[in-house]
Amino acid sequence: MSTDLGTYRRDLILALRLREVPGDRIGEIVAEVESHVADTGEDPLDAFGPAREYAATATGRPRPRWGWADLLIAVAAGAAGWLLAGGLLGLLSGDPVGPLPPWAALALGAAIALPTVRHLRRTASAVRDPRTGEDMAPLPRWVPWLLGGTLALPLVAAAVDRRVLLTDGRTGAPAILCRRRPRRAPREQESP
Amino acid sequence: MPTDSLWPSDWLRAVLPLCVLAVVAEEETYGYAVAQRLREAGLGAVKGGTLYPVLNRLEEEGLVRSSWREGAGGPGRKFFTVTAAGRAELVGRTTAWHLFTERATAVLPSLEASR
Repeated sequence: MSTDLGTYRRDLILALRLREVPGDRIGEIVAEVESHVADTGEDPLDAFGPAREYAATATGRPRPRWGWADLLIAVAAGAAGWLLAGGLLGLLSGDPVGPLPPWAALALGAAIALPTVRHLRRTASAVRDPRTGEDMAPLPRWVPWLLGGTLALPLVAAAVDRRVLLTDGRTGAPAILCRRRPRRAPREQESP
Repeated sequence: MPTDSLWPSDWLRAVLPLCVLAVVAEEETYGYAVAQRLREAGLGAVKGGTLYPVLNRLEEEGLVRSSWREGAGGPGRKFFTVTAAGRAELVGRTTAWHLFTERATAVLPSLEASR
């Protein structure tokens, strides 16, 4: 069985990430593999064994299990996302987010999101190549667009929804404009 | 561990850190050159998956230090140099190893007796 270096590198980075190895250390381990394979011409699978097994050997640490800290991070991320999205929607619609006014939901969401993101950035440091200083596992270019689109989608949907709600069903014109039109008083029938 | 089966893998695992430290103490060197030196010495082919964790453990213990340097026309190589603590440890471990193998040899039957 053989594997190309690109596949092996990707599998090894993933296996080391799952073991919560710091990015700089991952870069060292991957660069050692690449340098050795370049020197010997060996297949990385033959020289180092399966990526998951080598990740265990190279770090000497077991794969950490999910704990309360991970659950807390997941709950915090979910709550922050819900509060931020709800707050933004609330600003558009004027509706409260549960018991909170929209601005309070936004502030609370930001207060939870900032330390959560800071923690995630610290634990998921970039995988730097010690030979060049380059990021060995950069995010694909489409990821920021996907994230931005995912965040923007509820706002666009809310804006469209608001426009539909405020549209006059008979004429199709925005209802807010219709309301501004002065209503004609019904003509009184002239007495014969 | 992916190593050649020239020797029982337990034997190699036991002596490999000391041999790797000894090779690095000879001169500044890099992973592939260490593997070649060990093979020339008759210890068999030591795969990268066995060698680099040993080198990194020696570095964590402060017995060797490493630095990346640009290779000639290829990717950079990680060079290893022995530290002062590494040289002292090499002397101590080598002395202990000789004593250990002498005592183990004394327990084993002689080659003539086993034939």
